[in-house]
Amino acid sequence: METLREILDPHFLLRNSVYISVVLGLTCPLVGLCLVVRRLVFMGVALPQISSCGVAFAFALQGWGLLPHAHQRAGEQVLALLGSTVFTLGAILLFSLQARRRRGSLEASVGAAYVLAGAWSILLLVKNPIGEHGLLDLLKGEIIAVSSFELAVTAGVFAAVAATLAVFQKEFLLVSFDPEMAVSLKKNVLGWDTFLLLLVGLTISMAVLSVGPLVTFGFLLLPPLTARLLARNMRQFALLAAGLGGVTALAGFCLACRLDLPVGATDVALLGGVYGVGFVVNRIVR
Amino acid sequence: MTAPAKTLLSLDGLTVGHGRQPVLEDLSLRFAAGTFTGLLGANGSGKTTLLKTMLGILKPLAGRIEFTPVDGREPVLGYAPQHESLDPIYLLSSFEVVLMGVCGRVKPGRFISQSERDWARHCLERTGAGELSRLQFSELSGGQKQRVLIARALAAKPDFLLLDEPTAGIDASVKQSILDLLRQLHEEQRHTILMASHDLPAVRQYAQRAIWLRQGKALEGPAAELLAPESVEAILDLETH
Repeated sequence: METLREILDPHFLLRNSVYISVVLGLTCPLVGLCLVVRRLVFMGVALPQISSCGVAFAFALQGWGLLPHAHQRAGEQVLALLGSTVFTLGAILLFSLQARRRRGSLEASVGAAYVLAGAWSILLLVKNPIGEHGLLDLLKGEIIAVSSFELAVTAGVFAAVAATLAVFQKEFLLVSFDPEMAVSLKKNVLGWDTFLLLLVGLTISMAVLSVGPLVTFGFLLLPPLTARLLARNMRQFALLAAGLGGVTALAGFCLACRLDLPVGATDVALLGGVYGVGFVVNRIVR
Repeated sequence: MTAPAKTLLSLDGLTVGHGRQPVLEDLSLRFAAGTFTGLLGANGSGKTTLLKTMLGILKPLAGRIEFTPVDGREPVLGYAPQHESLDPIYLLSSFEVVLMGVCGRVKPGRFISQSERDWARHCLERTGAGELSRLQFSELSGGQKQRVLIARALAAKPDFLLLDEPTAGIDASVKQSILDLLRQLHEEQRHTILMASHDLPAVRQYAQRAIWLRQGKALEGPAAELLAPESVEAILDLETH
């Protein structure tokens, strides 16, 4: 309780990190829910990895002298966001095209992309001393240095994503649950699918920049998987997933501060524990 | 003498299939408004492929699909897929599933009005599934799911109702009740119905007209004549020789 009071204090040094964790914990599960119900969990694993590879690539371009050096943190952030967004959206586009054309195994492509993105992130990183330090922190999920500008941008984007998901939930649900029925009702299924995946891509890009791929993946998938065990309808499913994500993010931060542990890994481990509790409750209740 | 029923849908030289592989070639068929047609064929004969092409889910490989406007607008299609095709991971009540049927009339981002909700509830009751409203769709039996899916198709206020194997995987007594429901919908509200099925006796008993898909071609005629035992024998015998 003392630790909670301390980290919620407006003068707490890492207050922006606390806020960004909670914002991410509330929003990522809503996006992750879309991946879970569409059986695209593998994509949820691969996209954060691809996103961080995009960041590594953007910094590598800078290291090779192909892009001008950004001397300020804001410039670095823009560069990282560009790399992350281009790679994530590009991958989403390719995966959705493959899924639509039903050529080859999507799972195999996603798996291969995950492995390759992981390998290339490391290779690009070791050959780029300029970006190595920051990127290593990112890959480890160290949620420490968050500026007020970063916090405002991330919170704004996540609020917009959550609002868009809420406003168009009827359309997203229809094209996800029964795309054929949606076509028969003259809905533009490809358009809605692309829109949804763009929201997913944008969220993942922003989240990876803030907390790294491990934590992003954890918040994308573990809260929805836990909520699925306990909810009785889609509304409960969404609210419970977001609630579990937000509360776990805050509790994880407290625990990490108290025990002097890395925040990201603590968050994910705690999410795993919550999933375990959800599983047991599900077995007892049903 | 009664006037011939207006054609609602014409297929001209239609070839359907998957990718570039044709399953049915050069089909030319007419669907008159208010008729109950059975689309008969064995597994893999192309029933679902044809149905999905008519619905716009698959693109035709060749030929044309032409709908006749109803009251100056394009006809509304109501579709009931095979119930196994819907993923049980979604936590949707039967009512929420039926509510999807009204989405064609509700603009993106808008709330579904109370009158549309009442209509969806009415459709559930119309198909004898009113008491299933609050139950989770994924936990219903095959027959119950089929009733809910027919209610969802009706919720679209369709001019043409297309059903894909509505009695597949359902026990005999429930099958009978689903077919009775379809006959009732057709007789009382003059719905135009196309029902894909591999059940020859059911099509013969319930449909007015039949389209029999065999070996990439379509035979068409009044159900009672085309599917009379002697005609069926003659067709099968002809093919054997």
